[in-house]
Amino acid sequence: MMKIRFQEEDFNAEKELSLFSKKNFKSGSIMVFLGKVKPSSDGKTIESIDIEYYKKMAFTQTKKIITKLKKKCFFDDYLLLHRFGNLFPGENIVLLLVASKHRKDSYFFIETVVDWLKIKITFWKKENFKNKSHWVEQTQEDMKKIKNS
Amino acid sequence: MKILYFAKLKQTIGKSEETIKIKGKIKIKEIINQLKQKNNLYKKAFENTKNLKCAINCEYADFDRFVTDGDEVAFFPPVTGG
Repeated sequence: MMKIRFQEEDFNAEKELSLFSKKNFKSGSIMVFLGKVKPSSDGKTIESIDIEYYKKMAFTQTKKIITKLKKKCFFDDYLLLHRFGNLFPGENIVLLLVASKHRKDSYFFIETVVDWLKIKITFWKKENFKNKSHWVEQTQEDMKKIKNS
Repeated sequence: MKILYFAKLKQTIGKSEETIKIKGKIKIKEIINQLKQKNNLYKKAFENTKNLKCAINCEYADFDRFVTDGDEVAFFPPVTGG
């Protein structure tokens, strides 16, 4: 099964977790990050979001961080699912699963990969409101992480 | 050389990719200057390079890097996935 999947269609997080957990039955820790579409931004109701991506580079950058993580922590397995296209509030955007012997490695893995989704892995979000749309901009906090990455 | 544009940049320029001919090697910042000469859409897209990222063959690169005709160059704003 592919460990990195970029897809337009929704995914079933519970089913993915169940399959992943069974596959990694020897791991003492399974950790989950599920990112979803927010219902509002700066007090304005979001009607939908558009997610665009640079496929080839998104794969390259994801594999790069996984390679780096193999030297920094111990994990048995992982799965990254990230959607693109037009999504509505409440829908799933990203699912990240990691299996490891100990929880500290799982915490570190999840935090690092989610950070890379915010600073390196080539996805962009556009928020669509009732009368206008705007591209989401990187936060100051995320910009600081780039300097330290 | 293939040039790709994403997100706000693609929207401003009105296209997702194009091919340009270059001879020998050239710096990314020289490509940007050439593109800005094309029309006001490019000028607007590249007016604030502080908030612009560039990749050569899927690796982040600064504007002083050289590229040759076989490279794939991408321009885009900072990413906002996750």
